[in-house]
Amino acid sequence: MKTIGILGLGSMGKIIAKDLVETFNGKIIYLVRGVNSVKDLAKKYNAEIRYADVSKPKTLVKAFKDIDVVIHAAHHEFNLNVMKACLKSKTNYIDLGGLYHYTKKQLKLNKQFEKNNLTAIIGMGASPGITNVLAKYASKFLDKIENIEIKIGNKDFSTYKQISPLSASYSIQTILEEFSWKPAVFINGKIKFVEPISGREEYKFPEPVGTQKPQYTIHSEIATLPYTLKAKNVSFKIAFDDDFVDKIKLLKENGFMSDEKIKIGENEFNIKEVSAKILKKLPKTIPEKINQCEIIRVIVSSENKKIILDAKISGEEIDKDTGVPPSIISLMIADGKITDKGVFPPESIIPEKDFFRELAKRKIYIYKNNKKIN
Amino acid sequence: MKFDFVVLGATGEEGNIASKDLLESGYNVLLCGRNKSRVKALLEYKKAKFAYVDLNNIEKTASILKKSRAKIAVNCAELRMNINAMKACLIAGLHYLDLGGLQEMTIQQYKFDKDFKKRKLTALLGCGSTPGISNVMASYAVDKLDSVEHIEVGFAWDSNIKRFILPYSIESIVHELTTDPIILDNGKFKKAKACAFEGVLKFKGIEKQNTYCIVHSEVFTFKRYFDKKGLKFVHYKAGFPEHSFRVLDMLIKLGFGSKELININGINLRPIDFTREILKKIARPKNYKETEDIWIKAYGKSRGKPKKIEMDCVVRTLKGWENFGSNINTGMSISIMAQMLNKNLIKKSGITAPEEAVPPAPFFSELKKRGMHIYIGKKHFI
Repeated sequence: MKTIGILGLGSMGKIIAKDLVETFNGKIIYLVRGVNSVKDLAKKYNAEIRYADVSKPKTLVKAFKDIDVVIHAAHHEFNLNVMKACLKSKTNYIDLGGLYHYTKKQLKLNKQFEKNNLTAIIGMGASPGITNVLAKYASKFLDKIENIEIKIGNKDFSTYKQISPLSASYSIQTILEEFSWKPAVFINGKIKFVEPISGREEYKFPEPVGTQKPQYTIHSEIATLPYTLKAKNVSFKIAFDDDFVDKIKLLKENGFMSDEKIKIGENEFNIKEVSAKILKKLPKTIPEKINQCEIIRVIVSSENKKIILDAKISGEEIDKDTGVPPSIISLMIADGKITDKGVFPPESIIPEKDFFRELAKRKIYIYKNNKKIN
Repeated sequence: MKFDFVVLGATGEEGNIASKDLLESGYNVLLCGRNKSRVKALLEYKKAKFAYVDLNNIEKTASILKKSRAKIAVNCAELRMNINAMKACLIAGLHYLDLGGLQEMTIQQYKFDKDFKKRKLTALLGCGSTPGISNVMASYAVDKLDSVEHIEVGFAWDSNIKRFILPYSIESIVHELTTDPIILDNGKFKKAKACAFEGVLKFKGIEKQNTYCIVHSEVFTFKRYFDKKGLKFVHYKAGFPEHSFRVLDMLIKLGFGSKELININGINLRPIDFTREILKKIARPKNYKETEDIWIKAYGKSRGKPKKIEMDCVVRTLKGWENFGSNINTGMSISIMAQMLNKNLIKKSGITAPEEAVPPAPFFSELKKRGMHIYIGKKHFI
């Protein structure tokens, strides 16, 4: 029987857990620091629990024993720790992305994974993840790629019992990093770092998302697509609503998102870490009826041809598009459909059509030039 | 060295201002606090010395006060320390001044009236800009009226560069903007909604500004001292410039003003302490200038006819004091009042407030010497 482990049972880990229990016949193991916090979920989904602390590599090696694929759904700053543990425990690896800088470091482990006969697929959520596979698929229709533009927009039609003062659709720590680290943009064959929150311009997505203001953001697609697909220009933009951007901007302008340390009394604290902790304490958003829509748009063009690919999820929680892909791909590894060894970004290893078919089963639809293809 | 004054919380911004003003006036000053590095510039004055004081330890504070041989303690620490500072003064036998205790703390502080009277000591509460200058202006205005029915009081400030600078203690700001204030309504204290919008007003030296109803001690002390003149209504209105208010409001809404401990890698921390340290790092930009208007409007009767007296105290960033912006009106006021107490111009013993104890004319004259001008209506007070 094959075994898949989920490392970290935060909001993404829980979506992965739900998808796996519905699609995977093997054994599922939750790898967590707080064992008691997932007891009920493990009981409900008939999963095993093992203690694992991402900051303590030894616990990881022990916890990964006899697991075929580990999906790392904890924070990306631990990506290298987890990959190195996988090399020791001989476990295949999937993660949700490494915000460009971690991705660069992770790619350097390629030979070690190859040597150990293991597969590591990095950045396998919605973005990075679906975005990379869309770009690869579009590239098949073009001779020479000039530009790859990635734009993500969403709109929320949900009703809520309670709304958090800062509603974030993913990890607040990741958002603070995305808003404070300089985004990488690949321009004319060269990497350029631009100002955070820059390039915020109106862009019209297909309805019901409509006009949004995507902004440059540090993302791992830029660390791989320029090289794997040999594009001349690659950019990534994601839209956040004005109120959210205003709040994060004010925090940034007033020093709350610095990577520096601050002394308070006798102790020193990392400023961004404390800010993230304070924001995590905010009252949570409690939905009444969830109805969100997200469009992940990838525009790939050559000198005289343009392919527009959209991945669309609507009528439910958009976080699903990040949690579902690693679950799909872990099954492909466990079932032997993906066999290449080494460290890969999604565009270099994922069979696009099989992947799109699996997404469609989960109501995530792909459109090529506005026409549904899965 | 025998000291004339002890400044508690000298390490904070107001403590720094009060200490500098006392030192500039030629007095020997013992600077007390927990972080010596924050009084480095003041220690260049020959008449200044530093003593480590943690106001959580009343006995030890009292012992340092006693050893200083000073007669007067000027408390510029956070208002939650007021009672501890008062207790230390009672043990050591020093007169006491502070910058105010908003409403709850002020009520608690008045319970020590007998203790101070018994020791023939003065405890003058709320000696900054507001409370402080506002109370003295109110006493001046009320004195000109046969009866007073309504007093509106507050502050408004703005800066030439619209960069957020922490205007005063973040702890006080969070308390003011989140606590349901008590207002005096038809002779009775009544609870109002925290930070309720009070409309747009125009202020001397400042353009139009939004005002908010916040908790402040004047409501309580005005009723105490002007009740005999028929006072029935007191409203406190705070005016913040938009660029400052939106940051403060956002920080509070996002939990950065919380006092509930959070755990960071095994160490407990109050978000508000973190916020204070972060905001302190924001320096005033070059050529940054502030203007503040402390104002009162007293409505009453004189010789049987309705009369309204408007007073303003306008302060601008002063040369040599650029690092403190308009906050000089708080630190300098307490210094002036402490010096008046030292010169026996303030005679009242027990717990008292500026509207009862501080003679307006010499006080206004001292403000003027420091560039802070009092206006009665449109006229400059001479």
